[in-house]
Amino acid sequence: MSDCTPLKLGQRVPDFELETYEPAKGDFGTFSLASQIAKKRWTILFFYPADFTFV
Amino acid sequence: MGCDVVTVSTDTKFVHLAWREHEKELSKVAYPMGSDATGALSRMFGVLDEGSGLALRGTYIINPEGTLLGTEMNFYNLGRNIDELLRKFKANLYLSRKTTEACPSKWKDEGDKTLLPGANLVGKVHEALQG
Repeated sequence: MSDCTPLKLGQRVPDFELETYEPAKGDFGTFSLASQIAKKRWTILFFYPADFTFV
Repeated sequence: MGCDVVTVSTDTKFVHLAWREHEKELSKVAYPMGSDATGALSRMFGVLDEGSGLALRGTYIINPEGTLLGTEMNFYNLGRNIDELLRKFKANLYLSRKTTEACPSKWKDEGDKTLLPGANLVGKVHEALQG
């Protein structure tokens, strides 16, 4: 997807939703930017290569 | 602090569960573990390694309005410094309230010296940081 320009600082991030595992609840859930904005909360996204490796 | 951390990899949520439950190093992990199995989000942020389908070590700070304010990206073999991430988050939080100020490189926490960019500061950063 070379036509996809990565986001730049200062840009509004398009809404996104992720399926999650939530250890605090011991259950699956979803995380969306729209709900963070609705709750007026900051978000830190922390990408890493793969589970079962050496973060 | 009004902030949520969510980790993201291209694994499924099922693998996240299995990893969290099996790896003792993760026994205290409470944040949600996001699944970007298609790689779409990783691609949007520019961290997707198209060759492997894996996400590189990217960190992004997004404010409550949904604006991207901070980014850091490391290759596979270099871990991130959490103290520096926390410093950057605290600085962004502070600057969201003190919009005319700027946090210099040595700023660590509220109360530390900040700068007020303007004509008076041109050529006088050294003096401002001493004062």
